[in-house]
Amino acid sequence: MRYYIGAEARLRRMVEDVAMSVFEGWNYEEVITPSVDYYDLFEQGMGQREAQRGFRFTDNDGRLLTLRPDVTSSVARMAATLLAERPRPLRFCYAASVFRQQTQSHAEWRRENTQLGCELIGTGGKPADLEVLRLAAEILSRLNLESRYCITINNVEIFNGVAAQMSLDTPAREQLRRLIDTREADELQRFLTTYGNGETRVFAQPTQLIGKRNVIEAARCAIANQRSVAALDSLDELWTEIESLGLEDSFEIDLGDVSSLDYYTGLSLKVFVHGAGASVGRGGRYDGLTGSFGRAEPAVGFVLNLDALTEVLGRKVVQD
Amino acid sequence: MITIAIAKGRMQDSALSLLARAGIRLSEEAVNSRRLALTDETGQYRFIFVKPADVPVYVEHGIADSGVVGRDVLLESEADLLLPLDLGIARCRIVVAAVDPEAMTNVQGMIRVATKYSQIASAHFGSRGIPVEIIQLSGSVELAPALGLADMIVDLVETGRTLRENGLTVIDEIAESTGRLVVNRASYQLKAGEVARLVNALKSTL
Repeated sequence: MRYYIGAEARLRRMVEDVAMSVFEGWNYEEVITPSVDYYDLFEQGMGQREAQRGFRFTDNDGRLLTLRPDVTSSVARMAATLLAERPRPLRFCYAASVFRQQTQSHAEWRRENTQLGCELIGTGGKPADLEVLRLAAEILSRLNLESRYCITINNVEIFNGVAAQMSLDTPAREQLRRLIDTREADELQRFLTTYGNGETRVFAQPTQLIGKRNVIEAARCAIANQRSVAALDSLDELWTEIESLGLEDSFEIDLGDVSSLDYYTGLSLKVFVHGAGASVGRGGRYDGLTGSFGRAEPAVGFVLNLDALTEVLGRKVVQD
Repeated sequence: MITIAIAKGRMQDSALSLLARAGIRLSEEAVNSRRLALTDETGQYRFIFVKPADVPVYVEHGIADSGVVGRDVLLESEADLLLPLDLGIARCRIVVAAVDPEAMTNVQGMIRVATKYSQIASAHFGSRGIPVEIIQLSGSVELAPALGLADMIVDLVETGRTLRENGLTVIDEIAESTGRLVVNRASYQLKAGEVARLVNALKSTL
């Protein structure tokens, strides 16, 4: 529970205005979704595990409601139903609070957070991925966080392709994912000694999963399966674009970012800012999502955490 | 500069000597002082000394970039951290112990388990489908069965001497615990070079 008073509230409003004006500049339309909706919507949109972190309660007729734990689910459903006939692509942005039950000790412990987010629906491929990356970079640079932020990008299909080749059962696949995600080098080595093949050596050295173009080149030496190669190709092309925009200092490739595999279907990204102990934003491509609302089409987007950004910028002012 | 949180107590001396072998040294005078935040001789690393259970908290919030703490503490805290290195120090086991080696089958009614590690204990029994009542203590757990507070305990064992002297036998082993290097997720990206240097320096001593 957090109050913003006076200068702090003004700063927070300023951050929100900057983000929303950048979105507007890229022709993103603002959308306001209901704060209370049926639980089913979010279970379809986020998967059961994430949706269950929402605060749930029942309506008069006993149906389960929840305070929205994310906005993307609502936007995806809206695109597939209310706006099914509208010409594509759709561009939407929002500044909206989301509510989640949190473990008190965790760094992201607030129950209520405000997301500054955007969704680009109905267009796939590199141009769309690049568009949202540029949007994120532009917002951060307009907030004077130039050279203080880092956006990590990955393509989850690289991991998925390698894991498919290993034909692991679900618990083993989850263990592999967790070991890569938490960079547990020793346990990972042990795991790969049992289950590994020629391709898995790409994940064997967690410290070498982060970098610039060299990471892709190293991965190419190890990986041969089509699915991963296609993902590497698209990451490679995206990186070329990032370089030609002169943004490569603010971006990193992190092949070890495998934290939300069930949700993302291609590009995944995380945003880090000096002074914040946890990521302040995340996003990616989720081509599977709108399909669960009856109209499958490509979609990509990201959210920034307004409260985390305000905190970093507030402290920066004090330090400066 | 990288800030490293060190768990005070059991882990502290072996962690510091490992760091010294990796070329990261605190001066004699600094170690003997009672200050809780110290800088190493090169000025590249700052150390903070906190209770073991607080190490994951400092690191997860990014107040410390990195930390040295036992796996037992990490399992108990469920903090979201990176675990790039097993330092192999302060090796011990997390076990279930009881007076009666057959306690698992002999206890009538609900099994009562005394422990400092309530998360680990409930996860362990939960995954086996054994309903238990967890009694949270903060120390001298070995006393609980003798005094009738609990039927068994979940605790850390190094040599097993304390258990034996209190008439307890190990009836199940839950996990092995060693000192781990933990790293904050944001620091891992934003201070990638410095973190990699620390990891590699420590790795070369193992």
